[in-house]
Amino acid sequence: MTDATLTSRPARRAARKPIDGWRWAGRFFLLFMLIFTVLPMAWMFLTSLKSGFAAMQFPPQWWPAEPTLYNYAKLLDPQNSVGQDFLRYFWNSMFVSLTTTILAVVVAVPAAYAFSRFRFPGRNFLFFSVLFRNMFPAVIFLVPLFILMRWLGLVNTHGSLVLTYLTFGLPLAIWLLKGFYDNIPIQLEQAARIDGATRFQAFLFVIMPLSTPGIIATAIYSFIGAWNEYIYAYTFLNRNDQLTLPVGLQRFFAENTTDWPGLMAASFLMSVPVVVLFLVLQRYFVRALTEGAVKH
Amino acid sequence: MARVVLENVVKTYGSFRAVNDVSLTVEDGEFVALVGPSGCGKTTTLNLIAGLIPITDGDIHIGDRLVNDLDPKDRDVAMVFQNYALYPNKSVFKNLAFPLQMRKLPKSEIANKVHEAARVLDIEHLLQRKPRELSGGQQQRVALGRALVRDPRAFLMDEPLSNLDAKLRVQMRTELKRFHQDLGATIVYVTHDQLEAVTMADKMAVMSGGDLQQYDTPKNVFDHPVNMFVASFVGSPAMSLIPVTVEESGGTVSLKSEEGWSLPLSPANARKAQSATSRKVVLGARHSTIILHTEATKGAIPGKVYTVEPTGDITFVQVFLGESILIVSLDPSVDIEPDQQVWLEFDQDKMHLFDGETEMALKAVNK
Repeated sequence: MTDATLTSRPARRAARKPIDGWRWAGRFFLLFMLIFTVLPMAWMFLTSLKSGFAAMQFPPQWWPAEPTLYNYAKLLDPQNSVGQDFLRYFWNSMFVSLTTTILAVVVAVPAAYAFSRFRFPGRNFLFFSVLFRNMFPAVIFLVPLFILMRWLGLVNTHGSLVLTYLTFGLPLAIWLLKGFYDNIPIQLEQAARIDGATRFQAFLFVIMPLSTPGIIATAIYSFIGAWNEYIYAYTFLNRNDQLTLPVGLQRFFAENTTDWPGLMAASFLMSVPVVVLFLVLQRYFVRALTEGAVKH
Repeated sequence: MARVVLENVVKTYGSFRAVNDVSLTVEDGEFVALVGPSGCGKTTTLNLIAGLIPITDGDIHIGDRLVNDLDPKDRDVAMVFQNYALYPNKSVFKNLAFPLQMRKLPKSEIANKVHEAARVLDIEHLLQRKPRELSGGQQQRVALGRALVRDPRAFLMDEPLSNLDAKLRVQMRTELKRFHQDLGATIVYVTHDQLEAVTMADKMAVMSGGDLQQYDTPKNVFDHPVNMFVASFVGSPAMSLIPVTVEESGGTVSLKSEEGWSLPLSPANARKAQSATSRKVVLGARHSTIILHTEATKGAIPGKVYTVEPTGDITFVQVFLGESILIVSLDPSVDIEPDQQVWLEFDQDKMHLFDGETEMALKAVNK
């Protein structure tokens, strides 16, 4: 037993490569990309701390001379009409995104498992028809889906958005999760079933915990997709009290003026849930993308 | 523990017959090895016993129950997989406890049984670790522990040693054999390594192409292979097989090769040779039953040394007898060189004769 332990150790150590030129090139590239992604965010945040006048100055004021939280206070104040609207949009977005996410996971997990494990008639046809949707840009479906929603009486309801987001999100969610289940050795389930578990228990106690990173990745993916979506929300909803955040932000564009600091503050608040979600769950997300499911 | 009975078991995938009409009985407490080359149907047979795949035709009994339509969980067998199939997210303790939890045993009893199994397998100090923190040999013990913890009717093992390195494999082989003796467990063991089967099993079932070729004790399979496939599969190095024809002149029956040498047969072997469906027969001889002479000897057939492979305690010599190659074992003290002229003498009591058409072992018939 000891010699086996000894032989396995160096193998693990050898997996770490020395830092070489390519690695440094990679780091510089990442740094470069970081400028593109972080700079707009930083500018958004800095602008949100300015007064309306300071935001419009030219040459621009890079660093707010008199930083103020006034814009945030206004947005988060339920007494204020702007705040009232913003909080309502926020809640609407949260409701639509969470419902979409929960439904996506509830449907995608068993569907992906079935695609991965069972051979049934029409399996390949179904699986590729699931992917077929992704061949077309989302906007192509705008009019047909609107007609469909009107026929279903769902226009001006959040249900129309949830259904639409599922139409777009589910195929990829199923696809992502199927890859996960494919990587879990079937022997684990067989072992569980021989150990006394039913097929469902084997799935619940053995397979589900192993696919947690995949499920979380799928959930994040569905949530972000729904949270950011604009064009369908803009088309399907007309009543002010139902708007989601991306559409609601338009309020800051008046006919002749735009409240830039207010818009930026609202945008910043809008990105908070996604960032928090990511920070909390990122270790799962990274595992999902790099590790597959189970290492051997 | 219980006996396992297979009656005319068939498994087909479309038109492909993976397991073809296999019948065998594993007695209570017996260690049976299913051996054969990959794709011979041995693992499929094991999965049929476990209930992991549905049976196409035939019956499987475990104990006195017909289990054809039972779920794996209700068959009360334990299985050890080639890749161990340990639950990667559970600690060793939880891996061992899982089968007991599924059977809803009280917590204290689970802990007792897990510790008892861990003690037997000497893995008590590993109980809190995760499977990926264990060496191959340790994982293998945990897999064994998970099977042993709940006292099943039979153990099914699918190549459990093939992922271990050579030294550990030999060690675990001894331990498995000891484990079988101590527990009196019914074990069905799948392997492609005939040596594992010969060394551990009470009986071996040699399979090929979905068919059960021979089911007997390792000694009988080794000494009396029923056909050329079994003869060449069991034993290492493999039995030498030489195609010859049967000649009869003046009351003597002899085997004649294309190259011209001929070998007069003993009366018993002559009767076997005459029972062949045609004049074409195949002579089979194991390395240890051929005597090599370095000088011309009466009754010995001349050949030429091809290679010499010393292994330490035995030297294997490959000899060209015309077009055929034979393997002969020698004491390492004998001096021998490649291309040397040698003479081979066959032990008539231990040589095998096969029908050249049907490839079946020939039996003596009384005329």
